Amino acid sequence: MSKMLFLSEDGLVRLLEAVKASEVYAAVRRERGPEYCHLQKVPEAELALREPRPSSSLKAFLQPAKERVAVYTNEGFDVEASRLVCEDRALVGLRACDLVAIAYLDKVFREGDFKDPFYEARRESELLVSVDCVAVHENCFCTAVGGRPFAESGFDLNITPLESGYLVEVGTERGREVVDRVADAAAEPTDEQLAERNAARQKSIDQVEKQTRGLRVTDKVQELLLAKQGTDELSEMAARCVECAACTFICPTCHCFHLYDQVGGEENFERIRTWDSCILGGYSRMAGPAGAKPTPRPSLRSRCANRLLHKYAFSPQQYGMLGCTGCGRCIEACCGEIDIREVLRELIGDTSG
Amino acid sequence: MTQTDIEKGAAAASPYVPKMARIVAADQMTETERFFRLEMEGEPLAYEPGQFVGVTVFGVGESPISICSSPTQGERIELTIRSVGLVTGALRTFEAGDRLGIRGPFGNGFDTGAMKGQDVLFVAGGLGLAPTRSLIRYVLDKREDFGKVTILAGAREPNLLLFREEIAEWVERSDADTLVTVNQPDKDWKGNVGVITRLFKQVEIDPARTCAVIVGPPVMFKFAVLEALAAGVPEHRIICSLERHMKCGVGKCGHCQIRGVYVCRDGPVFTYEQVKRLREGI
Repeated sequence: MSKMLFLSEDGLVRLLEAVKASEVYAAVRRERGPEYCHLQKVPEAELALREPRPSSSLKAFLQPAKERVAVYTNEGFDVEASRLVCEDRALVGLRACDLVAIAYLDKVFREGDFKDPFYEARRESELLVSVDCVAVHENCFCTAVGGRPFAESGFDLNITPLESGYLVEVGTERGREVVDRVADAAAEPTDEQLAERNAARQKSIDQVEKQTRGLRVTDKVQELLLAKQGTDELSEMAARCVECAACTFICPTCHCFHLYDQVGGEENFERIRTWDSCILGGYSRMAGPAGAKPTPRPSLRSRCANRLLHKYAFSPQQYGMLGCTGCGRCIEACCGEIDIREVLRELIGDTSG
Repeated sequence: MTQTDIEKGAAAASPYVPKMARIVAADQMTETERFFRLEMEGEPLAYEPGQFVGVTVFGVGESPISICSSPTQGERIELTIRSVGLVTGALRTFEAGDRLGIRGPFGNGFDTGAMKGQDVLFVAGGLGLAPTRSLIRYVLDKREDFGKVTILAGAREPNLLLFREEIAEWVERSDADTLVTVNQPDKDWKGNVGVITRLFKQVEIDPARTCAVIVGPPVMFKFAVLEALAAGVPEHRIICSLERHMKCGVGKCGHCQIRGVYVCRDGPVFTYEQVKRLREGI
């Protein structure tokens, strides 16, 4: 079987049925636009493979908003119960930017001296099925941060929607096992279909490029950001920020978490981790009476600056890649109507837009 | 309750799951600082001076605490804990025989290899003496590996001075110069009076071969660094230990991030050369 194959509408339905995961999460059509949801719980939902990226990110499937990481009693920790038993899962309809986010989170949670066993367990049990963006959200700017609206690696299977049917690219052995189950429904792609795919991809690139209006986060931009961090240029961003932390919770690469212990039952305790946000005032506050111990970033301006710089300047130092995938989700999530593209543009000194 | 990890003798795989330790000695050092000596119930902790652990009080939570003992002292670890928050407040009532959860050790610790053969100048203010003590004990236990050893210790008031008996022993030693000062003396105090930086006048520093280890409250750090620089100690041989809100200890949760570093993983020990560039000037 070739690395690429063609499937009709029916063929794709069969392919997705052949994904024999206990839990399938997919991009589906909802009233307010595409969302990721648990497909088996909403069987009537229609897949959203030709729509723009869903408005929520995929991160909750890898690092839930809240989970238990340890269980203990006064006698000690229950190592068995503190372990994650993970069902095999499939994520269907991921975008190229989502895969970039996974690559980033992999560096955070799977590399270095300490691996995160929860993230690791989920990653190992997950089949990743991505889809090309044939429609682009108005806030998308992936090409400005080195991305493209289609994936070339990082997936088990990648789907390119065509006028009549789909091209499916096999990325891994795991993906191949799935397509092998529907071999009878698959056809070799024709040259026309491959040409259609290239044209569709170029069209999406053109669309994203059009809306980014030449914005490019280059090494030089990173230097500029580092040089401008002490100035007042970020004050406007802070003035509009209402400290709701939505940008960090919606961001596919933001991964900060809080750990706390709570009573789980009689003489039974749990260690819980929840998403946390560097935008919030108490985020890095240390123990002690007010005033006695400094909060390293007491002003909202310093927290906004830190978030911006972490995305575009510190992450490349830490992980060798930007902390922004250009998905633009923070733009529609922001209550203060902060558009990170405009913030970047202003800092760079580009007033053409 | 199922068998715990320790009872099975297996190593916990998850970095979020503590191991069990038993308090073998506890002592209220000052009104707010309590000293604990711990024994791990399983494998002893292998650590370096300057590293820290996450201390879990069951049902309350976890706090990052510097280890104040040196690995040269044996398998037990010692902690000096100031009661300032929920977890450290709960620890006030903990006595010998009580059990705690311990995660770690975390952080880089002091680069003892790089200090070998050098003169070491310790400047420790207040609770800063706790992490510094781990290195002081290490250096004194391996005395022949180091050049001249000078210890400057300071506290606000005499009754806030930590490790008083031990400091008295250091003062007696002929192979180390130990000077102590307090800002506000009481009627029984017979030693130096004034801020710790005043002690610099009483010591001789050979800047070509001195490592200055400076740990204390921010204001002390600032002025002690100026003194060390004035004495000619280069920035890369001025060493400090930073305090931050550390949650996970393994460079993932983000709380202790300063620019491109996680203090819990890349620190808490940094040179002044590094710290200068880590300022939260943002």
